[in-house]
Amino acid sequence: MSGHSHKHQGAQSIDYYAYTSGMRKVNASFKVLFSVTLLILCIVLDHIWVSVTVMAGMGLLTVCAGGLSLRRYLSLMKFPVAFILMGSIAIAAGIAARPYGDFNLNLHFFYLYTSGADLLRAARLGLKALGAVSAMYMLTLSTPASEIISVLGRAHLPKLLVELMNMIYRFIFILMDVQSRMSTAARARLGYEGFKRSCYTFGHIAGNLLILSFRKAGIYYDALESRGYDGELKFLEEEKKIKAWQVFAAAGYLLALTALAVIL
Amino acid sequence: MSKRQKRAVKLATVFAAIFAVVPAVNAMHIMEGYLPAGYCIAWGVICLPFLVAGFFSLKKILKENRRAMTILAMSGAFIFVISSLKIPSVTGSCSHMTGTGLGAILFGPGVVGILGIIVLLFQALLLAHGGLTTLGANTFSMAIAGPFLAYGIYKLCLKCKVNRRISIFLAAFLGDIFTYCVTSLQLALAHPAENGGVAISAAKFLGVFAPTQLPLAILEGILTLVIMIALETYAKAELKSIGFYKEVK
Repeated sequence: MSGHSHKHQGAQSIDYYAYTSGMRKVNASFKVLFSVTLLILCIVLDHIWVSVTVMAGMGLLTVCAGGLSLRRYLSLMKFPVAFILMGSIAIAAGIAARPYGDFNLNLHFFYLYTSGADLLRAARLGLKALGAVSAMYMLTLSTPASEIISVLGRAHLPKLLVELMNMIYRFIFILMDVQSRMSTAARARLGYEGFKRSCYTFGHIAGNLLILSFRKAGIYYDALESRGYDGELKFLEEEKKIKAWQVFAAAGYLLALTALAVIL
Repeated sequence: MSKRQKRAVKLATVFAAIFAVVPAVNAMHIMEGYLPAGYCIAWGVICLPFLVAGFFSLKKILKENRRAMTILAMSGAFIFVISSLKIPSVTGSCSHMTGTGLGAILFGPGVVGILGIIVLLFQALLLAHGGLTTLGANTFSMAIAGPFLAYGIYKLCLKCKVNRRISIFLAAFLGDIFTYCVTSLQLALAHPAENGGVAISAAKFLGVFAPTQLPLAILEGILTLVIMIALETYAKAELKSIGFYKEVK
């Protein structure tokens, strides 16, 4: 899996990393609770040092305890960073008829300006988002989606939705597999030569994919029903006990963050 | 360099700076951590009535036909896969469909709301598109506002006897544009400009994302059309099973 993989491989790679993570043995509910609390703290405290600490702490946790290589971690960070850069441009830069900020760029019809305060605002927001993203990555890179779904189920999400999520999660990978074989076949026949042909091929593959997925859906329902499916899929789950030191470490980290925001 | 030349260089630099980061930006998912807590909750609450309505219509569908379960799940997976595929583009940048228009036309806006929030959750978990705290805002723009508009336009066009293919294109195209406008507005509401407030801020967000989103919307329209033509040619039976033709006739 190369670093510059596009999103199709991306889906499989985050899932793959989650299954092979060193932190997989940690209780899933605990990880969900910890990362969501971190997310909320990061957003509510809105403090530059909290953001930086979360970013560094969760990055270290994912790389050291999770065993994900730093290169892969950074390459996963590329997508959020791109969004943050775009958003920061919109926040930091202003448009006005006259030079308004500290730094102005005359574009003939109007001025593009920015000021120290605006830049600081954009930087704060960017760091906050990066902190939040690393808290989310800590969860998603150590917990397979199936375990997160089961946590949601235990949190009393309606059974129908849990069921739907379980099925969608499994079907995603089946359809991706089918799609990648179709696009290989199309590529072998020069299906992606030129823009117009690419659009045509893309559309036909998508159409075919839907037809195939509906046929598969029927077959899967028969298979489920023949095994006694009555609206609830039950999975065998590994029992993962929460250890006392994990709770203390997590609570300590959260307290330290809050203290940081109060003191600094 | 003359003054004019200097200006040209500056302008080119700005454009280059914008386009340098463009290739990695996809559909308009608001990134994790980008909205203040109040806005995260507010957008979630706004989504709630739509989702509850969607949930009950889903329940009704399943009560009538239990086999619809796997079909609905496949539809959700299909929307996810379609929106995660790299689509052909002229510039070689890496962009993705939103699939909102297609989903709305095929499955109706009510069901798409529920499927949409699940797909968005998986996009956050598996692709890091969007996030957990911004799920409400993203659901509103991509799984509620966009599909409802797309569906409305599609129905309106059919009523006005507009050519079917043009209606499909318009529905997907405008649905995408609308999603992009709603997202820009969401960002602007959360981060108003100090000089000029929400309106100026919205204009800035619209401007920054326009170079990627406008071509993408046109492409989304074209691709949705091609997909629908393929489906109408080869999958009349499947389309009937999800009630697509029932509405057309």
